[in-house]
Amino acid sequence: MDLSEKLILILSGLPTTLAISILSFLLGFIIGLPLAFVRTYTSKPFQILVDGYEKVLRSVPEIVTMLFLYFGVGGIPAFRFPFKNSFFVATFALGLRSGANQSQVFRSAIRGIGEEQMVAARSLGLSRLQAVFHVMIPQTFIIATPGLGSEYALLVKDSSYSFILGVIDMMRRADTVRKTSLDTVFPYIATALLYILLTFPLATYLDSWGSRKKKELGL
Amino acid sequence: MADTVLECRNLWKIYGKITAVKDVSLEVKEGDIKLVFGPSGSGKSTLARCLAMLTTPTKGEVILTGENLTRSGVDLNKARARIGFVFQHIWLFHHLTALGNVELGLRQVLKLPKEEARERALQALREVKMEGWAEHYPAQMSGGQQQRVGIARALAMNPEIIILDEPTSSLDPELTGEVVDTLRDLAQKGTTMLVISHEMTFAREVADEMIFIDEGAIIERGPPELFFTNPTSERARRFMARLIKRTRRE
Amino acid sequence: MTFFGVILGLGLGTLLAIGDLYGGRVLSIIIKFYVEFFRGSPLIIQLFIFYYSIPNLLGILIDNHTVGLIVFTLNSAAYQKGYIKGAMESVFEDQMTAALSLGLSKAQSIRHVVLPQAMRVVIPAWSNEFASMAKSTAALLVIAVPELTSNLKAIASWTWRVLETYSFGALIYLIWISVVMKILDIIYNKVKIPEIEITA
Repeated sequence: MDLSEKLILILSGLPTTLAISILSFLLGFIIGLPLAFVRTYTSKPFQILVDGYEKVLRSVPEIVTMLFLYFGVGGIPAFRFPFKNSFFVATFALGLRSGANQSQVFRSAIRGIGEEQMVAARSLGLSRLQAVFHVMIPQTFIIATPGLGSEYALLVKDSSYSFILGVIDMMRRADTVRKTSLDTVFPYIATALLYILLTFPLATYLDSWGSRKKKELGL
Repeated sequence: MADTVLECRNLWKIYGKITAVKDVSLEVKEGDIKLVFGPSGSGKSTLARCLAMLTTPTKGEVILTGENLTRSGVDLNKARARIGFVFQHIWLFHHLTALGNVELGLRQVLKLPKEEARERALQALREVKMEGWAEHYPAQMSGGQQQRVGIARALAMNPEIIILDEPTSSLDPELTGEVVDTLRDLAQKGTTMLVISHEMTFAREVADEMIFIDEGAIIERGPPELFFTNPTSERARRFMARLIKRTRRE
Repeated sequence: MTFFGVILGLGLGTLLAIGDLYGGRVLSIIIKFYVEFFRGSPLIIQLFIFYYSIPNLLGILIDNHTVGLIVFTLNSAAYQKGYIKGAMESVFEDQMTAALSLGLSKAQSIRHVVLPQAMRVVIPAWSNEFASMAKSTAALLVIAVPELTSNLKAIASWTWRVLETYSFGALIYLIWISVVMKILDIIYNKVKIPEIEITA
């Protein structure tokens, strides 16, 4: 096996790595954005629920969540589908975790915007929900962009935890290459660099875009 | 006799131990320009917000053209759309252009079609002489320009009354002029207004009635001549003297 | 493992931060590469690199515990360097100038003026770092270092009480991370300089 063959084999895991990270990011977004607003604008019991969710998902290792869902929940006959699917479980577990993280990212963005924008919107006769959609969310996005960028990068890296469930992503491919070629150096170093390539440019770009936009709009 | 647009009866606002508004009753008729003034911390802003139902009064009634807004079950969003509000610290929406700021209420609250909203928003910007800045973001404008857009935003909704909460006090002195000019234009067009302000020249020119507030309560009220010549209460007299001295200096 | 990793990481991270801020261009670039490598690549790969690649290249044997400790220290240092640097430059540039104006040397200024302040400011970020490290120890599973998660896995496969075992495990992580974060929070409130609060 020469280097290019090894590289090609490793890259064949790329679509899976991307699929897990993108899908779990989207799931995290769908969970995180509403949670942030619920946490900011609703009453105490809801706030405690959201806090609890965040605390648990941010403290429990992704690997433990994955094992729990795959072997635990997936072991219950009624839940064999979809929890016996390792790709699904990896994405789902990371998505739940990301929901907790994104909720925090959005919440601090909302806090950064402040109550004034809300009051100004209400003074025009917008309802609370309309104000959230037309005034708060657009600004939240801009402020949250850098945070979302690093969360995405984190997911790309963490998608490698699906290794333990046997998902065939870049990480698993690198390990296969190491085993079959007995080359212990190239596959891991190359894969590490590939991960950096997937995360660093995008996260850096979003970070600078976000800061620039924030400055332009005086947020 | 003109109809009453907005009035409040025996209005109180109490925050814990602090009484911000103490038993205030007033009435604004169509075409009226009322000017509310008083020392800082006297409860003027809270009064303004209660009148616009941006904060719920503790006691008393707020009545908008016959509709009691303090009764439960009133659609406050609809009511707020009929009351224009201009903020002391401006509070434009950072992520929208001048045009976008003015259009938002027209599109979302009044549900106007895109074209009509745009037309009306541009018209409002024209009235405050900001039509040339329609595509600019708030951060690209001076404070005075921002506040004029703030006025346009309120104006475009075609409100029955506009409440302005110290519209010039957060601006640099050299920028207050343009905003006062805008207010003067509005006054000439017969806009119903309740203005909280210490712009005494403006008050003298256009106000129908001046209302002096201290410690949350109305101390004295009357036509501008009264305040400029001979206020009855000691507190108002002292406050006026200070204001006039300051105006001369400027 | 978490404790040693974080503490050794703190030491190394501080050195890196000082090196980056006051050390000159070349050093700064090298540090940047180091940080990007450890922050940008997955922990599992880092573990494998130190478990398989490095020993092979150098012709030495490293036992899996040492591998774990090395990786956690290096990884943690990469993150902590960022926090500490942020804390040092955000507020303390003028403090440095003030110290220099008193006639202190650069090293003395860092040692006596900048660092003592930066260390206090950095505690909240540090507490997050601790939580993420404690969580990451689960990855040690892949190089067969016995720790909580690998034990859970073993128990689960013996007892077949999978749901209960992992729920219990999750609870342990939750409690232990919450307790340590709470302690750090208390320490922070004790040592923090009144009225100074920065998010590094």
